[in-house]
Amino acid sequence: MMLARVADSLYWLGRYIERAEHLSRLSTVMLNATLDQTDTGAQAVRIALSAVGETESRIGPFEAARGLVLDKGDPNSVFSSLARARENARQVRDQITTETWERLNLLYLKVMDRNADRDFADNSVNFLHDIIADVHLFKGAADATMSHGESWRFMMLGMYLERAQLIAGLLEACFTEGHGREINDHLALVAVLRMGCALEPYLRVYTAEIEPRHILEFMVFDEDFPRSIRFATAQIEKHLSELARHVEATGRAAPERLAGRLKARLEFADVDELESHGAAGLLTTVANECARIHEAIYETFVAYPLELRLPA
Amino acid sequence: MAAKIQDIDEAPSLPITGAAYLPGVAYDEMIAKGGDVREHYAALQNRISRLSADELADRQRMLERSFLLQGITFTVYGAESATERIIPTDLFPRILPAKEWAKIESGLTQRLQALNMFLADIYGEQQILMDGVVPRELVLGAPSYRREMQNLYVPHKAYANVCGSDLIRGQDGEFAVLEDNLRVPSGVSYMLANRDAAKRTFPSAYREAGVRPVERYPDLLLATLKSMAADWLSNPQVVVLTPGVYNSAYYEHAYLARLMGVPLVEGRDLVVHDNMVYMRTTTGLRRVDVIYRRVDDDFVDPLTFRRDSSLGAAGLFNAYRAGNVVMCNAPGTGVADDKAVYAFVPDIIRYYLGEDPILPNIETYLCREPAQLSHVLANLDKLVVKAVGASGGYGMLVGPHASARERAEFAEALKADPANYIAQPTIQLSTAPCLIDGRIEPRHVDLRPFILSGEKTVVTPGALTRVALKRGSLVVNSSQGGGSKDTWVLAEENGHHNGGTGHDAR
Repeated sequence: MMLARVADSLYWLGRYIERAEHLSRLSTVMLNATLDQTDTGAQAVRIALSAVGETESRIGPFEAARGLVLDKGDPNSVFSSLARARENARQVRDQITTETWERLNLLYLKVMDRNADRDFADNSVNFLHDIIADVHLFKGAADATMSHGESWRFMMLGMYLERAQLIAGLLEACFTEGHGREINDHLALVAVLRMGCALEPYLRVYTAEIEPRHILEFMVFDEDFPRSIRFATAQIEKHLSELARHVEATGRAAPERLAGRLKARLEFADVDELESHGAAGLLTTVANECARIHEAIYETFVAYPLELRLPA
Repeated sequence: MAAKIQDIDEAPSLPITGAAYLPGVAYDEMIAKGGDVREHYAALQNRISRLSADELADRQRMLERSFLLQGITFTVYGAESATERIIPTDLFPRILPAKEWAKIESGLTQRLQALNMFLADIYGEQQILMDGVVPRELVLGAPSYRREMQNLYVPHKAYANVCGSDLIRGQDGEFAVLEDNLRVPSGVSYMLANRDAAKRTFPSAYREAGVRPVERYPDLLLATLKSMAADWLSNPQVVVLTPGVYNSAYYEHAYLARLMGVPLVEGRDLVVHDNMVYMRTTTGLRRVDVIYRRVDDDFVDPLTFRRDSSLGAAGLFNAYRAGNVVMCNAPGTGVADDKAVYAFVPDIIRYYLGEDPILPNIETYLCREPAQLSHVLANLDKLVVKAVGASGGYGMLVGPHASARERAEFAEALKADPANYIAQPTIQLSTAPCLIDGRIEPRHVDLRPFILSGEKTVVTPGALTRVALKRGSLVVNSSQGGGSKDTWVLAEENGHHNGGTGHDAR
């Protein structure tokens, strides 16, 4: 049993943390790729910006990265995501352990610091590396110190929903039509895997033969890779089923059923289907289903009509 | 001043030893009149004198860092951005010997018992008004009097379940009560956070001194809150009601909820249906039995009190009247800590308990009485004048520190609405050593202990010591540049405690 408002805050805390991590990674891969004087850099910049919804960039990659990371006016920057994550954590400070809170607070103080801009300019790759490492510490602290009950599940739910959507967005930017030319350059494909934090796990499965087909197979369908869409969906379904056990069903949208359906879809589809029909269809389905699950979570746990839940 | 000067040769560049610490005319907590270190400060003073200025500064930084990390901060909203500041905290604890504490403890218990009896009477038969001990219009005309509370059953007659009284120590070394806080007193989280920090800052001095623990406060608070519903429920659902994350005491609300293990709710989480209070949970609506509310009276229920309030829940007060929920503290307790009623507390104690007050009041002039008003006007340069309804150090004139013009302006306000003011002599609050810009200097302090009252009345052996960080200032409120420090209440006069191996008792 927990307050609906608290569940809402924990859910968003999870989403914002995941978003901050993903954006930091996109930025750092993008900056790294531009160090090489090849076409790869330009491709990486195009993919990263397109994955976050910015189609064209007139500014250089460094400025673009700085915007993604530190722009206080942009609600989707790493800064804003961390600030919002912390704001949500503050709202539910009594629900998360001190260990977890302190990690997040440290991260926030780091990007809030008046020297953050200078530190970023001095060594942006180090700066971003530290942010990503700190996010991992936060997740580790949450995993190791919080009870894996309702509070924690809502946080995980937010994290995995956000992750499924972000990875779908990244793959869409890379492998569907309408996003510029096809990526076939080896180094650009490596950059894509890096953006999904998938390079090393990918290599263990497919070795260094890097092909778009395998990347799609791995990042959409792999059962064990924690950043694949299938893995995220399975987690979403698992947490929702647990959470929904205590809700008396009366004409509600049943988010766990939606999640189960998406999970089944991903379990029984395969990469041949993706190749023959194009990836766009499935990726759009993922995005739409995630949006529906999000709404159903609200209707079921947070913004339900009171009449239905009054004691008899 | 017979100061400790033995360290001077070893650390000549550092003006940090006892030699540099020069208390003024006020009673000093550490140094006695003759210049000797008071016995109960010996362990700490000994430790401090062996630390260099750099080491002290390091510890102060560590302390501030840990507060920042824990999020014990308030937000300052600037023109462009919001910045977080910690509440200024001083690293040297203030130490109280067991004997002094025993008197404070019994005095506060006596006082809160009498005040709760007073509240039960005022909201019941009003015997004390009929007997003319306290003027009727003073009580019934007070802005904090709540007619809605009349004839309402309050378990154990415990109207004020949580009380934070402000004590001060005058030049004679005696403690007196400056103010009672019976509404929604705050600061207890700082008491606990300061203690946590002090243990890390001076671990050996802490162990040697033999300090009584304060860490039981959260579970005692929970027991107190539960005892308010014990009549009809064995395991009541307790919640903490906060105005929300933008409230300056939000950290404390979340802290207490976390340590008690109960939900921290906002008004928007509550629903009242058929005079029952529920909270919106992920699995539907759940009954709420006891509300530790950190929202002012006026804001708890827009249907009963302020209509523009969005901090409470509509219908909450009716549910309370119907006996389906308990609010702690009860609404209307403010009438007993009203600054004008304050003057009568010694009489109130005698009236209900037949005892003399153990802790004295500060002499108080009620400006509503013409004779006292003219005395106040003639002595504005010596007195502290306070508006009855104000708190937090606002609406206050410290006569000796004010300019002639400020005094003249205040005199006009006084004449225009005398009933709204009281005056008290300017007390030289006692001083305690503080680290100020790398030097140890005396600063004025007060003492806010916390008293819990439900089925039983308990005083936590510790307190928040508030510090006026500005040199010479007598105003300790955090809204006026005050800070805080830990308060050590010693277990025994000679400091034996905690089953320690015992050290030389001189």
